[in-house]
Amino acid sequence: MDLNHPLLASAVDLLPPFPSSHPQIQRLDRSLYCQICKELFSGPVSIPCGHSFCSRCIRGSLEVMKKCPSCNEPASEGSIRRNRALEEIVDSWEEARPIIHGLTSNNSRKRSIMNTGPKNAFAAESTKRPRKESTSRSVSPVKQSSDKKEEIDGDADDMIALDPYTNMAESSEDVKASCPLCDITMPIRDISRHIDLGCQPIKPRPKSQGRENLKADWKKVFSGAGLVKGKDVELKKITKPNYSLATPAELRSVLQSYNLSTFGDKPALAHRVQEWILLYNSNLDTSHPKSLGALRAKLNEAEASRRRDKEKGREEMASELKTSDGLARYAQDTKGEFERLRREIMERDKKRVGSGAEAPIEIE
Amino acid sequence: MALRLSTKRLMKELKDIQEKGTPAGIIPLSTESVDEWVFLICVLGDETIYKGEQFALRLIFSDRYPIDCPQVTFIADDQYQPPLHPHVYSNGHICASIFGNEWSPVLTAVSICITMQSMLASNKKKERYV
Ligand SMILES: [Zn+2]
Ligand SMILES: [Zn+2]
Ligand SMILES: [Zn+2]
Repeated sequence: MDLNHPLLASAVDLLPPFPSSHPQIQRLDRSLYCQICKELFSGPVSIPCGHSFCSRCIRGSLEVMKKCPSCNEPASEGSIRRNRALEEIVDSWEEARPIIHGLTSNNSRKRSIMNTGPKNAFAAESTKRPRKESTSRSVSPVKQSSDKKEEIDGDADDMIALDPYTNMAESSEDVKASCPLCDITMPIRDISRHIDLGCQPIKPRPKSQGRENLKADWKKVFSGAGLVKGKDVELKKITKPNYSLATPAELRSVLQSYNLSTFGDKPALAHRVQEWILLYNSNLDTSHPKSLGALRAKLNEAEASRRRDKEKGREEMASELKTSDGLARYAQDTKGEFERLRREIMERDKKRVGSGAEAPIEIE
Repeated sequence: MALRLSTKRLMKELKDIQEKGTPAGIIPLSTESVDEWVFLICVLGDETIYKGEQFALRLIFSDRYPIDCPQVTFIADDQYQPPLHPHVYSNGHICASIFGNEWSPVLTAVSICITMQSMLASNKKKERYV
């Protein structure tokens, strides 16, 4: 397993922040982050108080407490509503963000389109998160992309000169990398789906035809037909069973009906059903739903990771995280940063104390 | 290869601290492991009864973070002593509603530190009930 893989690196990568010279754009950007996971909304929903979160995030939170995490107003799972407008805004922001980021940070740097240097997988990757969405795009109706991909890898400055229908986010998806598990090379955008499918080959996405597809996209937005009515995506939410009353046999039959493992004792079964319903129901709150296969893989992965934790203990898991190259370096960097911060503040404290007896540290 | 949500969230918080720093009087001390962090807390200004004192706050995160609250205590060892405060036990245990029914998953490690800092700042009497 290649631990320097861009996918692993980007798993802990924040989108590049906007410079403080553009507070309005910082505010716009901030407003599109879910307050629970601190990432851009994924499958955003609203609750009665008007606050919005990712479907997955608020469903998880409401299982523990029946109130809004932001304002404490009472809320329940039944009151969750999809927020389609917000989803469309986040989707377009995700595509526009690298362009606007370029405009706010590289104003001084102008390069011609012809001049763009060699492609850098890392640089391109950082503009696009391997979001759940990238998995599902391949199953959702074709999004418009561009034929000019080859040319728009560089600065956002270059972008304005191009066809307005092109976008950087899509272009970066053409960058190839090898799968961290099986080493086969493929476009980065395909990797997470490829892994979800147990390292199966991914069929190339059909090339789009510009405006035709844009039209189709609009149609999709207006009809609200975001969901793919694929063979294995059912549209109804699963109603939660009463776990305390359900018998193991009943739980098993629920699991069986979704092709899930029926292994384990009652708490294990109930937990699996619970996790599945969370994944399944939040998957219905997005226009980029995953296939049931991908959901199953996700459930299995979560369960396997919990098992690993149990077996090895959190401590070891944590140190394993630290020994794996990419994360190790990251942890090291962060620690170095912490050290520096600490020293700096200690230094400052010393100076203050030195200048006058017991001088307090003041807020700057 | 899939990072748990809790790990991802913590990595984000770390990166955020790295980029923006922490509020005055809150000093990241160690992140020895991904899920156990220690911050130094001091109360700033002349008004405080904790002037010149430093406390070490330890946060231990479970894999259900941020849905579940981290375990938060003041360190009590040779180097650090917990603050004398009506809601802080001598073993460092803290009695605060934010670690109970007022926990919210929108809170972060830094916002916990700020809450602890202001809990200390608003205290006028150095008393320990427990
Ligand atoms: Zn979220
Ligand atoms: Zn609210
Ligand atoms: Zn509607």
